[in-house]
Parts: sequence; C-alpha cells; structure tokens
Amino acid sequence: MRSRFWRVVTPLGFAVVIAGVWLSPIVGQQRGQQAPAAPRAAAPAATGFPAYRAPRLNGHPDLNGVWQAFVTANIDLEDHEAQAGPYTELIGEYSGWPPGQSIVEGGVIPYKPEALAKKRQNAANRIKADVSNDKTWHNLGDPEMKCYMPGVPRATYMPYPFQIVQGSSPYLLMAYEYASTTRTIRMDWKQEAPTDTWMGWSIGRWEGETLVVDVTGQREETWFDRGGNYHSDMLHVVERYTPLSPYHMQYEATIEDPKVFTRPWKISFPLYRRMEKNVQLLEYKCVPFTEELLYGKFKKGAS
Amino acid sequence: MRRMILCAAIVTIGLIVSSGNVLAHHAFSSEFDANRHVVFTGTVSKMMWVNPHAWIYVDVKKADGTTEEWMVEAGTPNTLLRRGFTKASLQAGTVIKVDGYQSKDGSLRANGRDLTLPDGRTLFLGNAEGGGAEGAPGAPK
Amino acid sequence: MNWRWLSSIVLAAAVAIVMSSALVAQAAKSNTKAPAKAAAPAGAAEKAWTVKKTPWGDPDLQGVWNDATSTPLQRPAGKGETVTGTEANLFEEQLANDLSRDRRDGGPEVDVNRAYNEHWMDARRLKITNDRRTSLIVDPPDGRLPPTVPISAERQKIRAERQAAGNRFQAGMPNIATEMSLPIRCIIRTDSPPYLPTIYNNDFQIYQSPGYVVIQPEMIHSARIIPLDGRPHIGKSLKQWLGDTRGHFEGNTLVLETTNFRNDDTVYQGANPETYKITERFTRVAEDSINYEFTIEDPTTWTKPWTAIVPWNKIDPKEQMYEYMCHEDNFDIVHLLSGARAREKNPSLNLTKPQTQR
Repeated sequence: MRSRFWRVVTPLGFAVVIAGVWLSPIVGQQRGQQAPAAPRAAAPAATGFPAYRAPRLNGHPDLNGVWQAFVTANIDLEDHEAQAGPYTELIGEYSGWPPGQSIVEGGVIPYKPEALAKKRQNAANRIKADVSNDKTWHNLGDPEMKCYMPGVPRATYMPYPFQIVQGSSPYLLMAYEYASTTRTIRMDWKQEAPTDTWMGWSIGRWEGETLVVDVTGQREETWFDRGGNYHSDMLHVVERYTPLSPYHMQYEATIEDPKVFTRPWKISFPLYRRMEKNVQLLEYKCVPFTEELLYGKFKKGAS
Repeated sequence: MRRMILCAAIVTIGLIVSSGNVLAHHAFSSEFDANRHVVFTGTVSKMMWVNPHAWIYVDVKKADGTTEEWMVEAGTPNTLLRRGFTKASLQAGTVIKVDGYQSKDGSLRANGRDLTLPDGRTLFLGNAEGGGAEGAPGAPK
Repeated sequence: MNWRWLSSIVLAAAVAIVMSSALVAQAAKSNTKAPAKAAAPAGAAEKAWTVKKTPWGDPDLQGVWNDATSTPLQRPAGKGETVTGTEANLFEEQLANDLSRDRRDGGPEVDVNRAYNEHWMDARRLKITNDRRTSLIVDPPDGRLPPTVPISAERQKIRAERQAAGNRFQAGMPNIATEMSLPIRCIIRTDSPPYLPTIYNNDFQIYQSPGYVVIQPEMIHSARIIPLDGRPHIGKSLKQWLGDTRGHFEGNTLVLETTNFRNDDTVYQGANPETYKITERFTRVAEDSINYEFTIEDPTTWTKPWTAIVPWNKIDPKEQMYEYMCHEDNFDIVHLLSGARAREKNPSLNLTKPQTQR
C-alpha cells in the first residue's frame, strides 16, 4: 500500500465516498425545498421484496403515475368462483365473470347477522333498476351498472387505471378512468365533510413512506362490489398507499361501519404501475350505456 | 337608460350564448308549469345536497288533516357550500314556506322559487353562521 | 500510523465535500422559487410580477380558480373596447338588477324561468373584468365572432335535428333522453374547452406534477390530464368528448393543443371536429390571477380564427371546489320525460289553477 499509486488513489477514493455520503441528503433535498430529508426507514417488506424508499417529491414519497389493480375484487371482495354473469344465454362467454380470491383479511366480511340479509337482497337485485320514483331511485341495482361513481375503496380496485397527481399544493388528485371519476385529497386539512358525496371527503397525511387517507362523508348508496357488499352512511375508510418498488405499491384499506359490521375489517392488494410507453387514461364516460336501461321506459312510444 | 337596458339584455343573451353547450338549455318552464303557481308551508323532513339540483322534502298538512309529501327542487348546493353551509344547515323539523311552480306532470313537486322561514328570512341567504366566511375553512396551518 | 497518509485522506475528503456542496448550492439557486412580488393593481405602472415556480421548475398555476364574469363574449353594438370606471359601476348595478332572480315582476312565464333566488347563483358573474373590456373576444378587433361560412347540407341537417329536439325540450315534450343536451344528460358541462363563464360553479382546480398539468373543472368533475413531455396525440380514430390535449410551456405560458374531439355536439357552437382547432394559453399574471386565452379556428365554420381572454381569479384556500355529482341524482331526466308522456296522454293537464294551495 505504499506505492505512489495507492498513496494518491486511496485518499481520493475515501474523499469520493465521504463526499457521496455527505451529498446525498442535500441532493435529495433539492427536489423538495421545505421538508428535511425524510427518515431512512424503508417500507415494510410485505411480500419479501427488499425494503424500498421511493424517490422524493417536495419532501415526500413520489406517488405520481398511472396505477391499476389486478384483483377481481370488483366482482366480489370475498372468494368467488367463475360464474355466469347476466344473459349468458344471449352472449355466452362475453358475460362470464372470472374467479378470484378474497382480498379481505380473514377472508370474510364481518357482517352483523341482521345486515347480511340486505347484502343478499342487493345481490339478487343487482341488475334491476327503477328510477320512476325519486324517493326509491337508488333502491335497486348495482350503482356500477348505472355508471355511478363507485366510492372508496371500490374505485381503487375497479378494472381500470387511475392516475395520482401529486405536486406542491395542499391537494393531491386521484383521477380514475372509470366514468371520469375524480377525488381531491386535501392534505392535513381541518374542514370536515360539508355534505355526503359519491367519492367522499378525503383528508391525507404522510406517515413516513405511506400516504394515509381518511375518507368520510360517502353516500350510503355505493356498493363495495357486484356481490352486493354494502355499507351505511356511517362508513369510515382509512387507506394506506405504500410504494414497494418503482413498479408497485401496497394498498390497504380499513373499513369501519358500526351499523353494518361487527368490527372494522381490512382489505389489501398491490397496485401496479402501468409501464406502457405514453400510457394515459382514456375516456370511459359510461352514461350513454345506461340511458336506455334507466330512461327507456319513459321515451316516446314506449309500451 | 335605454342603452343600458339594451346593453344588459345583450349581456344576458351573451351569457347564454357564450356558455356554448351549457345550462341555457335548461328552461325551467319545460319542467314546471307557469300556470300552476303554488304557495305552501310545511315541515322539512330531509334535504338532499346533490347536483344538478338540491332537493328538499317537505311534509304539508292538508285542510282535511292528511299529510302530503312535496319534493322541492332547489339550485346547485355547491354555491352554498362555498358560503359555509353544510348538510347540517337545514335540519329536519324546520318549518319553511315554499313559493314556486308545480311540475307539469301534476305530481307533488315544485321548484323552490322562493324559500323562506316563518319569520320571513330567505333560506340560505348570506353566509352560514360561524361558517367558512372568515378565513380558510380547513387549510393547514 | 502514518499521519501524513491519514491527513492527506482527510484533506482530500474535505476539499471534495466543499466543492460538491458548492456545486449543489449553485444548482439550488437556479431552482429556488423567486419571491412572489405583490401583484400590481390594475392600471398601475408596470411592476414586473415574477411567477413562482414549482419545485421541479414549472410556472406554478396550482390552486382553485373562478372565471365568472358578466363581460359578454361578444361586444355589444356601439361600444368601444373598454368602458370607464363610472360606466362600469353603472353597468354592474343595472345588470345586477336585470339579472336578479329575486325579482318577481314580469309575470309567471318569466318568473318560472328565474327558477331560484339570486343567492343560488355565482355572485361574481355580475362583475365585469378588471380591465373593463366590453367583450371577452379580443380578436377580431371588433370584439365579435367572425362571419360564418356556409356549411354542408349534412351539417345543416344535423343542426336542424338538434334545433327541433331543442324546441321539443323547451316545450316540455322531449322524446327520449338521448336527444337532450349533453349537459342535461350529465355527460359534459363546462369541462369542454373553451372554458366560458356561466351562472354558477365557475370553478376549476389546477394540479401539477413533474411532466403534467391537470385541469379539473367543477362540472362535471372530470380531470383533463395534460402531458408536457411532447408525446404524440392518441390515434386519430380515438374520439373523446374532451378531446386529447398536449401541453408545453413557452416561457411562463402554458400552451395547450387539443385534437380528437367526438362529432356529436361536442365542439363549440356546432363547429366541425374534423377541421376545428383550439389553442389555449394560461399565464399567471398575479398572485391571484391567471389570464386564460384561447384561439379557435375552423375554416369550415368561421371565415377566420378568433381569440378571447377570460381572467381566472384564485379563490382557495378560503373557497373550495366540491364534488359535482350529476348523473347519479339526475331526477330531471325522468321528470321531463314522464311529464311529456303524461301530457301526450292528457293534453288538458295544463290546468289554469294549481291543484294545491295551502
């Protein structure tokens, strides 16, 4: 180690290493001027993935991108076999629904016994709709079938992409391809839901690597899936979005509704980043697909 | 003066034309009947804070003692929300007077042309008491 | 221990740290947000206002904005480009009176169309723009739409059909949901460009992220996600109600180009989506103000392009944009259709006396 070569290279090497270690918090900070560098704690390795720390934007994990779930939970949150959907006698496999495994922790949604009947009734009536009376307008039919906004968490596992737009304002946007649905996440916000809405009132906060979103004020008419799983106006959802790698994110939601369930329960599944070059949300405005269903019996000449 | 009125008329038309696709197409007389002016007082049973129109359910006691339930169409609630009103602002049990026009199909529905409380105050005029009028409603810091 | 060797390591490390920190600080300076200067009052001497940048260097347009104004699209006959302060005050007072929905004069036909009291409307629509222009159109210089070009027989036929459907609607006798307007059907409302002021919910929220600007109009809750990375438009056969938009910054101005509009009453004033082009420009000119400028050209509809400028005013955090659900509780469609069917069956349903009076 005494050669002239090493006497020069070794100190230089140390210098580079030391400078690199010194610099990285500073470089990380350039992307976000206000917050100090976040603690080095990495995401929990939920599925055996190496611990991951997402790049930063404005001091927080950068969740920007187009994301999509690949579970079949929109059909049924719980275990479901392949089944015939509506009118297979007319359109065959086009109306076949695929099988899937439960995304509910523990497998089964903990309904109060008296609340289970309504779930079964929902499922039996899912493809019916009757809007002839304003007061019973929402009584029948899966709101998805009517192209109504799906609420949270259903919007997350609909089989369509959604985009997270995260910048440097107090608001984060989640834009869903399905029915051009959007919701604003208000970060660290103090105002409560002024009224009930289809996508609810979302207040976000950062917990290390995780975006936590507290959702209240959801319209009681939304369903969790096509299986008729439902809730009341006391629904309270807490979501957690945790990047696991550059390409996927863990999604967890805790669902609480003392009117319908015996205890809070949880769902979880990964969200995948859509990697196609120039991928973008397209327009899926499904209202025209529902106008004959909903309003056909009021048109001129209807029997 | 006449020039100003002409100006205003053109502006009104301009507002409608400039909206392109929009709300000019909703002529309320296509849904409600100018010949069926109704005025009644009743008790609010609930208010739906929804778009495109909010709806107020009003129970009205008839002379014969029976009750009929009217649905009163109001404007877009978002305008009220921005003035600090919330779903708690019109409680069930509140007595209101409705002055409006009944729907053309004869059902118990009217537009809320003029909504007042028994003391004559206009419903939802001004800002909500203690509501979002002062300062940011919920911004952090 | 060879102290000379150790000290040369320490020295080299120290130099490296100092130099790299200086380099980083240098880069940081060019990314630092310029301090926002106070917005110059209208008409004051030019005091250059510097737009803030986002942490990734784009001009900051984020926030909730309102575009309500009473300035008409087209200049009323006999008016100059602007009015004086006094004329403006007089005009606004007169307008507030003329448009007031609290008025009960004019008879039932007028009254029923006033629908609700004034406070359900956006009060800001009663104000003309700060620069007191008499039209939103700034080009052609006369402040009016250019003359129209004779349209094809096919387009005439479609317009006539739409007009007939509109007449049925106004008479309260629509045939079917799908012949009603796109706003009534809750498909699009003010979210279709160009953005023009209306009677309420004149609100837009702008979000930004690296490589994107997103404009979310209140009605009907859609997000116009605009990539800034120069990617091509989607394929020509993909048609959308809100088209397909690409954006880039020219200096501090966001420039948008939109193509791929559907051909079903989507584009402005029945223009032709095949030949229609709309370019929009957003420039933040003050802490609380954006200039929204758009140019429309369609040689098969107008003889020349035309341009308008609509000021946007910041309203958050004090005021927020709220969810505009529309289709979900769109009872009107059923009322309108069932009302028409009831009166087809029984034309005498138009009574002269109300059924109830309490």
